[in-house]
Amino acid sequence: MRYLWWLVRRQPWRVLRGSLLGTAWMVGLSARPYLIYRAVDDGLRARDTRALALWVAAIIVAGVALSYLGIMRHRTMTFIREDAKARSAEVLLRQLSRVGATLPRRSAAGEVSTVGGSDIDWSAQVLTLTGPGVGAVVAYAVIAVVLWSISPVLALCVLLGVPAVGLVVGPLLRRLERAESVYRRQQGALTARSGDIVAGLRVLAGVGGRDLFARRYAARSQDLRAEGYRVGAVVSWIDAATVAIPGLFLAAVVWLTARMAVAGDVTIGELVAVYGYVATLIVPVWFLLEGSHQLIRGRVAARRIADLLRLGPDDVGGPGRRWPGGVPDARHPHAVAAPTGPADLHDPVTGLTVRAGRLTGVAVDDPAAAEALADRLGRYVVSDTTWGGVPLTGVALDEVRARILVADHDSYLFAGTLRDILRPGADDEQIRAALRTASAQDIVDALPDGLDTPLDAQARTLSGGQRQRVRLARALLVEPEVLILVDPTSAVDAHTEARIAERLRAARAGRTTVVLATSPLLLGRADEVAHLSAGRITATGTHADLLDQDSGYRHLVARGSDETGAGRPADAEEAYR
Amino acid sequence: MNRLPVADRGTVRRALRDMISRHRRAVGVVLVLHGAAALAGLAPPWLLGTIVDRVTAGATVATVDRLALAIAGCVLASALLSRFAQYAGHRFGERAVAELREQFVTRTLGLPVSVVERAGSGDLATRSSVDVATVGTTVRDVVPTIVIATVQLTLLFGAVFLLHPLLGLAALAGLPSIVAVTRWYLRRASSAYLREGAESAELTETLTTTAEGARTVEALRLTDERVRHGTTRVTRVWQARRATLALRTVFFSVVEASYPLPVAMVLLVGGYLLSRDMVSLGAVVAAALYLQQAIEPLDRLLQWTEQAQRGFASFARVLGVGLVPPEEPPGTTAPSRGQRLVVRGARFSYAGGHDVLHGIDLEVQPGERLAVVGPSGAGKSTLARLLAGIDAPRRGVVSIGGRPVTDLDPAERRRRIALVTQEHHVFIGTVRDNLSFAAPDATDEQMRAALATVGADWYAELPDGLDTALGDGARQLGAAEAQQLALARLVLADPHTLILDEATAALDPSTARRTERALAAVLVGRTVIAIAHRLNTAHDADRVAVLADGRITEIGSHDDLVAADGAYAALWHSWHGQADER
Repeated sequence: MRYLWWLVRRQPWRVLRGSLLGTAWMVGLSARPYLIYRAVDDGLRARDTRALALWVAAIIVAGVALSYLGIMRHRTMTFIREDAKARSAEVLLRQLSRVGATLPRRSAAGEVSTVGGSDIDWSAQVLTLTGPGVGAVVAYAVIAVVLWSISPVLALCVLLGVPAVGLVVGPLLRRLERAESVYRRQQGALTARSGDIVAGLRVLAGVGGRDLFARRYAARSQDLRAEGYRVGAVVSWIDAATVAIPGLFLAAVVWLTARMAVAGDVTIGELVAVYGYVATLIVPVWFLLEGSHQLIRGRVAARRIADLLRLGPDDVGGPGRRWPGGVPDARHPHAVAAPTGPADLHDPVTGLTVRAGRLTGVAVDDPAAAEALADRLGRYVVSDTTWGGVPLTGVALDEVRARILVADHDSYLFAGTLRDILRPGADDEQIRAALRTASAQDIVDALPDGLDTPLDAQARTLSGGQRQRVRLARALLVEPEVLILVDPTSAVDAHTEARIAERLRAARAGRTTVVLATSPLLLGRADEVAHLSAGRITATGTHADLLDQDSGYRHLVARGSDETGAGRPADAEEAYR
Repeated sequence: MNRLPVADRGTVRRALRDMISRHRRAVGVVLVLHGAAALAGLAPPWLLGTIVDRVTAGATVATVDRLALAIAGCVLASALLSRFAQYAGHRFGERAVAELREQFVTRTLGLPVSVVERAGSGDLATRSSVDVATVGTTVRDVVPTIVIATVQLTLLFGAVFLLHPLLGLAALAGLPSIVAVTRWYLRRASSAYLREGAESAELTETLTTTAEGARTVEALRLTDERVRHGTTRVTRVWQARRATLALRTVFFSVVEASYPLPVAMVLLVGGYLLSRDMVSLGAVVAAALYLQQAIEPLDRLLQWTEQAQRGFASFARVLGVGLVPPEEPPGTTAPSRGQRLVVRGARFSYAGGHDVLHGIDLEVQPGERLAVVGPSGAGKSTLARLLAGIDAPRRGVVSIGGRPVTDLDPAERRRRIALVTQEHHVFIGTVRDNLSFAAPDATDEQMRAALATVGADWYAELPDGLDTALGDGARQLGAAEAQQLALARLVLADPHTLILDEATAALDPSTARRTERALAAVLVGRTVIAIAHRLNTAHDADRVAVLADGRITEIGSHDDLVAADGAYAALWHSWHGQADER
């Protein structure tokens, strides 16, 4: 609720204007029945041409004025809603970008997409209440006064009757929504199925089974049709009731008024006007009922947005971003200053030491262990890892992120042009160098607009190997002091991998680089290779040394390389003898 | 990219006419019922007019009671009739939509793969989700609404004509401006609303992807960049909304200002006629009320016209899929003899581009294992597609047992040659659903055996065995598991020739290792052509073909090629590193 209030307070004048216009418009709606009644009574019945012309002119003028009020109200309310949506989207985006790596741990991406999609809309919708909502209350009061002047008895009947009708019909409509929601779910599942078929078309083309899928889909489609019939039966009854109930009420009011007209208590014109008022009153009453429903939904949506906004970035046990470097304080008693220049990283869990300025290869038998190691070295988790002798966890996170980069093999590729994906604002020279190192120039050449070709999120149009090389080029462009690459070339063919291994070494000469991989091509280029087996470093040395001395390493490197599997794995090891 | 075709207006109209004539009776019933309901709905204003007349003439309470009761009766009758009309319409809509979507899926399944790939699967995916749904809503909800509104309007205006032809003419006063502004609006609305929808979808996607890639945002310190990106998205949504708002501003102000015109004109003309005693006061009042009543259906009609227009556009795209000629049936049905794969002088280029393959000659003996190696972009995958018969060579021939592969009946071809790529797709459904389509006659025992063959040990943990549901909201398979499932399919399909196009390249190394072990089990006793990604494969194959720039530059056994000391040998040595030097 506080969030909604905040959205209102951002635009007080617009909200005020919305309320005024909403009120004027709603009150104006009741003008036409009144004018028609005057035209009938004073003009037609009295056979007074001048009066008739006057009232008819008034009807036209009122129509134009009402249409102006209506559209201005609509415009203002649209601006109010859009302002709220834009504001929500911006604060959410800021928040999502700020929270960072801990977000996936705390909330599912699916949840964010509901918040980002429907919740923003729902909470903005509530603001509509500020305009026509206020207007509805006022319009109701105005009509009440006018009716009272015609006949207090009638006024009571109408003023209580219309909301009563609304209260009867409202729940019916809710039920209708529920009945439809089952149908919609089923429909969504069927749509998912056809999407599934489209996505799997190539598989079906490769293996066969098209007829079977067509039959299966048809069966589901028939089920949905049957459900549609059931829903149709319910919906049509409810629809009929929502028309019949107000209609019957109107008939009752007409009957009552007509009896009064016979008795001479009301004029014929008033009889006609009452008929019009009842019809008009339905608008504000509906609006209030609908509004209360929106308010409930909007509050739930606003709460979800507020929950997401409350998430703070995780300090993984150490000092956070805005914390000035190096001095311990009450909140961060273990804070330390980062090493001033390149320094060794040491991971006590595995016993790995990464020497500053060197290219270190780490052959890990288990991908989970490799990821855990990268998380520790990059300070994504609390650990006893040291950097130039000081605990990495004690260094300000901002500084760690600025100097140490962990390039995951599945790091996210955002939608945008290839240039934006690689590094927004980097110059062509830098990009060309990075692409060369990652042996990725051919990807750019194959794209219709080169670097300026827009790509989907996760660059789905590229092949696995191409994506991997784009990720590598992106990481290289950051030029971090320490670069930790996790499986950077697992999807790349041997020719290309050989080139990358060669160029990577040259491009990172003199800077700290760690490659977690099992490819002999990459490991062969490392200054030093460590073999991580069952959680501990079991051997270090050059690739050749390890091949020679460590049979486990030999086995790992040989097997890790054979990926198409057309070969007989058992023989692979012999290739080295 | 060659986009999928879109049906032209004539085709769409014909399809609509076909649909209506197929359901002629249902449509007739719906129209009659709605007409009757609208007629009953006309009575109340007319009865009110009568009340006005009678009361003016000094009627009794009993008359008024009777007339009021008649109003109530008409309301009930109208509600009942419209209920049955709506139900009949709903059933018709459901039937028509079901036919349409089933036809769409059947046609989609019949599309040649090459067409889908060239058009990009995104286009087809949009058609299958957005367009089919839009057509569905149009047929189920929009068309009935428009039909009802049209029937009501026709009857309301007709009634005014009946009261007096001159009153009827006066009632048409507001129409010219409404028609003009509606035409103006419809010409612009659809594209503006589509743009608005696309922009807000992009904004949602920006939020979602920022959340999905949160770790990357932090690692690469992209916070400012993401915020800047999002802010431009917000601005563009705002611009798109302003554009549609501007359209609505013009449209609704003109339309709403036009609404009172008929009422006003009827009152004026009514006054004139009344002064000459050509109509009764009641008739004029009834006419005014009819026209007041006409505002609501008119409003509905105008608001839904834009939707109907969009439905029409979607319908054209849905029908467009049917315009692609389906995979052509084979010229002859005589089965080919032998299983020798032969490629002679094959050249190939993707639509309008340069040749990717420049005359490939290749023979693969049954049971042989051939590895194809070469740098990215050399044309390895293209060659695999030609061998599998997905594309036909521009020149030259690819044949199996003496028959061009593209001449084989597609089903027959798939039984003989299977192409395994890094793409693997788990279909929504049970494990059984995911296996059975490869071999419809397979027993449960065979399916379990196939899963065991490929080393899918996770199968034992499934709660419902073969009936375990897979996919979103059910059991999710990892990449390796999905690939194993795909391989089990192959075991069941039992093709004699397998073409592997970097089948495990997208998997992480240890997963790839497990999958490759499973794959080895599948390969026993078959002809295998492996687009090799790592050199061990080449080492273990019977022969190795090195592909560079669309040509086979070297071919022979591993040992021969190493001995020949060409490009392959160089690569082999570098891959070995110092291991070889001992």
